[in-house]
Amino acid sequence: MKLNQIFRRRKEDSDLAQELESHLEHEVDDNLARGMSTEEARRNAHIKLGNPLVIRDRVWDANWLSPVEDLWRDLRFAARTLMRDPSFTYVALMVMALGIGANTAIYSFLDSLLLRELPVSDPASLVVINWHTKTWQGDSVVQNISGSISDDAKLGKVSGNFPYSALEVFQNSAIFSDVFAYADTSDVDRLNVSIKGQAEIAGGEIVSGGYFNGLRIVPAAGRLILPDDDRVGAAPVAVVSYAFSEKNFGGAAAAAGQNVLLNNHPFTIVGVAPPEFFGVDPSSAPEIYVPMHANLLLDANDPYGFRASDYLDNRYYWMEAMARLRPGVTLAQAQAELAPKFHQWVAATAKNDEERSKLPEIVLREGAGGLDTLRRQYSKPLYLLMILVVLILAIACSNVANLLLARATSRRREIALRLSEGASRTRIIRQLLTESVLLALLGGALGVLLAVWGIQLLTSLLAQGPDGAVLHAELNWHVLGLSAALALVTGILFGLAPALQSTRVDLVSALKETQAGQSSARHHRAAWRVNMRQILVVGQMAASLLMLVAAGLFVRTLSNLESVSLGFNRENLLLFQLNARQAGNNDAAICEFYRAVREQLAAIPGVQSAGLARGSLIDGESTVPISTVGTRPQPDTRYMPVGPDFLTTMQIPILEGRDFNEHDRPRSQPVAVVSEEFARINFPGRNPVGQYLQLWKDEEQRNLARDMEIVGVAKNARYGSLQREMVPVVYVAYDQGYPQPNEMMFVLRTLGDPLSYVSQVREIVHQADARVPVSEIRTQKAEIAGKMYQETLLAELCSAFALLALTIASVGLYGTISYGVVRRTGEIGIRMAMGAPRGPVVWMVLREVWILVAAGLAISFPLILATSKFLQSLLFDMKSNDPLTLGLALAILVSVSLGAGCLPARRASRIDPATALRHE
Amino acid sequence: MQNSQPSGEMVQGTLDMLILKTLITGPAHGHTIAHIIERTSENVLEVEQGSLYPALHRLEHRGWLSSYWGTSENNRKAKFYKLTPAGRKQLTTETERWRLLVTAIGRVLGENTLTAPKVQGEEP
Repeated sequence: MKLNQIFRRRKEDSDLAQELESHLEHEVDDNLARGMSTEEARRNAHIKLGNPLVIRDRVWDANWLSPVEDLWRDLRFAARTLMRDPSFTYVALMVMALGIGANTAIYSFLDSLLLRELPVSDPASLVVINWHTKTWQGDSVVQNISGSISDDAKLGKVSGNFPYSALEVFQNSAIFSDVFAYADTSDVDRLNVSIKGQAEIAGGEIVSGGYFNGLRIVPAAGRLILPDDDRVGAAPVAVVSYAFSEKNFGGAAAAAGQNVLLNNHPFTIVGVAPPEFFGVDPSSAPEIYVPMHANLLLDANDPYGFRASDYLDNRYYWMEAMARLRPGVTLAQAQAELAPKFHQWVAATAKNDEERSKLPEIVLREGAGGLDTLRRQYSKPLYLLMILVVLILAIACSNVANLLLARATSRRREIALRLSEGASRTRIIRQLLTESVLLALLGGALGVLLAVWGIQLLTSLLAQGPDGAVLHAELNWHVLGLSAALALVTGILFGLAPALQSTRVDLVSALKETQAGQSSARHHRAAWRVNMRQILVVGQMAASLLMLVAAGLFVRTLSNLESVSLGFNRENLLLFQLNARQAGNNDAAICEFYRAVREQLAAIPGVQSAGLARGSLIDGESTVPISTVGTRPQPDTRYMPVGPDFLTTMQIPILEGRDFNEHDRPRSQPVAVVSEEFARINFPGRNPVGQYLQLWKDEEQRNLARDMEIVGVAKNARYGSLQREMVPVVYVAYDQGYPQPNEMMFVLRTLGDPLSYVSQVREIVHQADARVPVSEIRTQKAEIAGKMYQETLLAELCSAFALLALTIASVGLYGTISYGVVRRTGEIGIRMAMGAPRGPVVWMVLREVWILVAAGLAISFPLILATSKFLQSLLFDMKSNDPLTLGLALAILVSVSLGAGCLPARRASRIDPATALRHE
Repeated sequence: MQNSQPSGEMVQGTLDMLILKTLITGPAHGHTIAHIIERTSENVLEVEQGSLYPALHRLEHRGWLSSYWGTSENNRKAKFYKLTPAGRKQLTTETERWRLLVTAIGRVLGENTLTAPKVQGEEP
């Protein structure tokens, strides 16, 4: 409000005060003339005029308020009104806070997942280079790939992996100012880092010489990797992440210049990346960056590691590339420029017409957000949760609208009075809207507080998952902006209908109402209002059922997953990884180290048995060509290299023959144990024990690696995914030749808590070889839970949300029915006075409940069927229109709503006719 | 409201019209205006004084009235209101509307007592 307005108001106000004073004096003169005493004359004049202060207020209300002052008055009035009816206000605030809070929390995760940009300068000019091809079967120029291929509805198969020589094609394009590449092949992904004799496993990434410069990264200390570092024979250097430098050296400055061993080769740390930098893939944050060509050094001891020849192989797709567009170049221009060049290059790598007919084609993607691995994995569940919380907000809104409608009815007299005093309809609508918006904004503020708590809760839930460390959210300005917008919009939405309606009253009949009673005249507007309330309740019922069904589907999916028969006993198993290869040992030393460590581990008191295998049974799977004598290898046969006692330790029962034992040595007769399923397929009706299997180095069966005798048959056990059929498995001894031993997973069957043995395990391994770190320590149970964590999360959150929705909706239903009963008190009283028994009265009320619920169900069923397609991919071992789930959701909804309807119905049946009629 | 008979209720919008009408004969102060309305209606209409002043100020705010301080017939200081040309026009409009309404209602009711009709008083 402007200063001169304040002064003007003062002057006008004192003017008005004088005017009213003058009016009183004239009235007193009149009264005296009528023969009243002075005292009487004065009193009557005052009574007739009323309170001058009130009049002054009303004059201001009507004429002189500035918009800001107006708003302030509206707000003060709204606050007073809300405080007059605290129970309504509390319920409405809580409902809004829950709705907005849930939305804010989930949206903050979506925001950080979908909208976060790489913390580099000018991220908008970055592009990710991908290729795509429609068909993938048969011969392809993509002969070998290390990396991931994803499915895209429009593009077919999409991948970001390229041969090294393709980099030159990209670099020769004038559209890019920078082109750089990176990869985390074999021995780089999990590097053995030895700092002053202490070995540990750290996540590594190999980057081309232009990587840091291309991203425009400024080092926190020292220097970053330069093009000159990235060549064969360059001095081995590394750059570490800021967090790594703090953890291991006490700070960035101290880290620069340090010497470390990476996979047993000396490297110099030349610099430290800035604290906010996490690489280009939000799903992984490398701790150590090394020049690309250093991978030859890092993989030198690995028989299957990266070789110099791989750099020249233009049919081996392994490295990922990004580029920076020159200023003014658009993504489409770059795409048009690069596609034919790549096509020309890739065509030259094809060997036959079939390969030429399905060449990969370039597709450029925006690179501002980095790679989209996380997005692919989490966006669908998060979108689903977002839909659910929006539904909750809708339910919350319609609920508050319902409460406001009910209140508007009881405020008709007040509003009619104000209208009759000359307040305009817009004026009153604005006042009512101020009230609802104030309510929504307060609810929104509370909601943001709830969201802070919700984000913490969700973060701790997510932290149990595999990507927990990198999925985090925060309240930033666009999240808060959205919450504020939501509050404002919902406030207007749920306030508008009641405001419009309550100002359309018939003044005379509204004013004739008694304070507590209702107008005896039943006109069509009242009927419409009731319908509006019912429509809102029906909507809430429909949304609740939808959410109940979703929750039911996810709970059932989780329980299906949990009840999947594993074939082994998950209790009391401690798992961890050891990699003696990376520490620089040869085959014989590796086998001896693993043998000795296993023996000592098995001797720990409380350890019942110890085994080792190439990897965890439920964490990935591998195949090599294995055949029975004289047949072709079957592609779906899985193989698993294991050590002595592995099957015994996992408690996978041996049906025939024996488990591997200490006598199966590197130079003894190669042996194998096959699974029941493998035996059923390959030896139907025969005992496989004593038969032979052949393990080949290639699909063409040219190089025989092992000729193995089957010594046992094991009961089927889960291998690979939890969600697939049992596959045929051949267990082979890990140390009997090709494929040679590498990193191994050790497993201990313990008495009591498996994690209580960790320090003894570390001690034994450290004594055996200090260069070999113990990594990925976990229990088998936790690992399995981690595999199901997305399903667990969805089941838990959906159930919580459905419960919330159901609670809010049943409060709404209860309110509507109660209101109906109060409204019809007189009618019910008459019916009962006329001798109607209680039963039909209860039925009359419950019938309304039935109608509302049935209408809600009728609406939501098509919706459920429509969304089924969206949900299907998130479910396991069930259809989205699972009858049990639907039935259960229905039963819950119907019983809860009957419960909500029963209380008012009971109250209706206890109406005392005499009281009710007096009430009328 | 409780003390006023239904027949004396001041219907929304009508007070404005009556004030304008009263002032057509010359300037007057609030007390006189209330008096004139009550007297000329033979005490059927009762001006609620609490509503009178907000109405006067509203009309002044809209430019239909102007005001000045002067001395009343009782030799007291009082604020006088005067019809402006715009107010004169407004009075014509309102009167016409009112006549139309009364005729219409009269047609419907015939000889019956007129209960206060609802005027769809949208403020211009």
